[in-house]
Amino acid sequence: MDDLIQNILICGIGGQGVVLAGKIISLAAFESGKDIKTSEVHGMSQRGGSVSTHIRYGRKIFSPLIPENEAKVILSFDIYETARYIRSFANEKTIIISSNHGKIPSWTRKNKNDKTGNGTVNGNGKIDESSIAGLLRTNFKYLHLIDDKGMALDLGNIKVSNIILIGILSGFSDIKKEIWLKAIEKNIPLKTADMNIKAFLTGRNYYENNENKIF
Amino acid sequence: MQYDNFTDSYNSNASNALLTGNEAIASGAHKAGVDIAAGYPGTPSSEILPFLAKFKSAIVNWSINEKTALEIAIGASIGFKRSMFTTKHVGLNVASDPLMTLAITGLRGGLVIVTADDPGMHSSQNEQDNRLYAKFAKIPMLEPSDSGECFNFTAAAFEISERFDTPVILRTTTRISHSRSIVSNPVIPGGAGIFKPGRSYVKDIEKFVMVPVYARNRHKSAIKRLGYLTDFSNNSGINKIEYNSLDFGIITSGISYQYAKEIAPYASFLKLSFSYPVPDILIKEFVGNIKNVVIIEELEPFVQNEISSLGINLKGKEYFPRDGELTPDSVELGLAEAGFLTAPERRSPHKYVKRIFDDPGNILETLPPRLPALCSGCPHTAVFYALKKLKVPVMGDIGCYTLGALPPLSAMDSCISMGLAFGAAQGLSLTKSSPKKTAGIMGDSTFFHSGITSLIDAKYNNISFTAIILDNATTAMTGGQDHPGTGKNLSLNQSFSSKIDIKKIIEGMGISEIYTIDPYDYNETFKVLKKALESENLNVVITNRPCVLYPKKLDYGKKFEVLEGCPGCDLCAQIGCPSISASFPSSHPGGKRVPFIDASCVGCSICKDICVFNFIAEINK
Repeated sequence: MDDLIQNILICGIGGQGVVLAGKIISLAAFESGKDIKTSEVHGMSQRGGSVSTHIRYGRKIFSPLIPENEAKVILSFDIYETARYIRSFANEKTIIISSNHGKIPSWTRKNKNDKTGNGTVNGNGKIDESSIAGLLRTNFKYLHLIDDKGMALDLGNIKVSNIILIGILSGFSDIKKEIWLKAIEKNIPLKTADMNIKAFLTGRNYYENNENKIF
Repeated sequence: MQYDNFTDSYNSNASNALLTGNEAIASGAHKAGVDIAAGYPGTPSSEILPFLAKFKSAIVNWSINEKTALEIAIGASIGFKRSMFTTKHVGLNVASDPLMTLAITGLRGGLVIVTADDPGMHSSQNEQDNRLYAKFAKIPMLEPSDSGECFNFTAAAFEISERFDTPVILRTTTRISHSRSIVSNPVIPGGAGIFKPGRSYVKDIEKFVMVPVYARNRHKSAIKRLGYLTDFSNNSGINKIEYNSLDFGIITSGISYQYAKEIAPYASFLKLSFSYPVPDILIKEFVGNIKNVVIIEELEPFVQNEISSLGINLKGKEYFPRDGELTPDSVELGLAEAGFLTAPERRSPHKYVKRIFDDPGNILETLPPRLPALCSGCPHTAVFYALKKLKVPVMGDIGCYTLGALPPLSAMDSCISMGLAFGAAQGLSLTKSSPKKTAGIMGDSTFFHSGITSLIDAKYNNISFTAIILDNATTAMTGGQDHPGTGKNLSLNQSFSSKIDIKKIIEGMGISEIYTIDPYDYNETFKVLKKALESENLNVVITNRPCVLYPKKLDYGKKFEVLEGCPGCDLCAQIGCPSISASFPSSHPGGKRVPFIDASCVGCSICKDICVFNFIAEINK
């Protein structure tokens, strides 16, 4: 496994912490002595747009971008974004760790046929979460659809839902648990450390209890 | 961007660090002992100066615009100090006036210009290829392909600058600036804050006063310099040939090198790191030794044209697109077309997941659109909603508020260059092509950058339109940098005392009809805008709410909810607030979908004003 190139694609909506998740995962890979490259997008895409971060690590990495359909893992904070990115990055063996929630901007219903207002609306929001979940279930063997928002609320803070998903992802990696914990601590404000560690361990336990289960 | 814990991101056991290209550039500049650095924020260049400021070893400041920033760097160089100017690609257009003449005067202290281009336009209005500026100005250019090279090339750029008496362009792209990779032996920040004493000032009018009699000589020197730079390009070792297959060779630079190494590691490479002037001898050697050679470069056929002018005809743009970003996949397709590899059946056409999309139709078309939107509680929201209702022509500008052009607000009609709004509003008014009064709209940082001059021009020419300044007290789109209106800066002015008052500037122009409004009061905002747009005067409306993200995240502590009985008219949804989302159909089986306001609400209360049926109310706890 050591020499293999690991391609992790993180996706979600601007403001959900995609860049932060990328920093945590890449620091963990770096601290475990791998060659690593990542690619983020800042600026315009941060404001509620569709956002992705590419992470690649292994013995020697050239391209910071993951070649098409070569994601080993897709980590997604929004189920609609999962659906958006599988076409370009997934293959049948891709491990998909995705929130089972998705957000639809409410104005899109009214504007679904809006071609005016310089509207470059490229979707109509007609599909719902359960149809996407069904689609994913029939096509991906290694699918983990997670009620991350619910689990985060149980912990008392909805904002740590992405750390829970990182906890699940950590189980699939060859990077030691202690390194993951260190990488999280270094990327978050000190006062939220306890909550974030708890969230990570919640995800990690979830992985350990469901390792071989296919969802 | 938070860099407060940045020393922790260094591996404690090794002398390696995982840095973005921008961080590596700052680290390289520090290693070279840069004394003064200036720039104007612009994606993807914005993180360089804040990171450099953390070293506390140089004077690092945001400038009012790119032209001023380069002029500061020039003055520093004349004072025998090393200086750096950072900008995004379009910012170099603003600074091109001093650049083109600096290119012939040459300099004293090393001067490095970092231009971060944005192929693919992730956050830009065009995707111009700034490599052409190097040729236009006859100055050398370095193109790093990862963070390690960002660090080494920046440090080297200062040496090259002084050795050849020329400014040096360090050209990155989004995928270089915003990618992280490992840098060996970087300089660790945190040294003592010192401003090293330098040489005493002396005059040299033949070098720095570009009146025709002196400028003619300097131009000759610049042309002669190109010859020396070509020798350096051939012999310095920065440009390298990596021999491998003698059948297939690739000439490439920047990020394209990494993609090509990924796809065709068996090929021989001529990697152009010092890509202007091109190394003619190396190119001839490479082409002479390898049977098939192609050129891979993003955007313009810059290297291809340079090589063509040597009398060597190679193909490049025949296989690789001239617009957008390259990717490992487009490089693979192009190389397949060039006969370097068999058709990449493995990836195109999405063999693995094609059937998912074929079965239920193309699900991509059914996904919710994710246009970038103004934030929850963004003070710009109410202004655009009001402008939409008022149906006036709106000349717009560049910043977060550019998003006001997108649905559902759809209330801005142009975005072309920084500071365009008030000039274009004057021009559009002159045409009398709309029965309604024209509005021009820009943010506070843009007003300082290049809106002041065009507003003066409108007053001077006595042209009537309504100038709207969305003053949120920060440069929000690029991450919340300071500007003259905040009074703070990176190295200097660490207090608000030197804040410059926008209203006073405008009063000083002699414009008397100025309104200041709180954009969280939608009804008042609408009323004032209507009044201003019905008045025949040149007038100004200034908003006064700070950005909800910068300098710190704001939460007004109030939460709002959609009340029972809401008929689901979706009026509130038309402000595009990200906190208002369509409820999940699954949670209301059979029932009507009504909007709901989630926990990300910061309590601006605009939606409450918008809901004329009073179905939105504050949650009382």
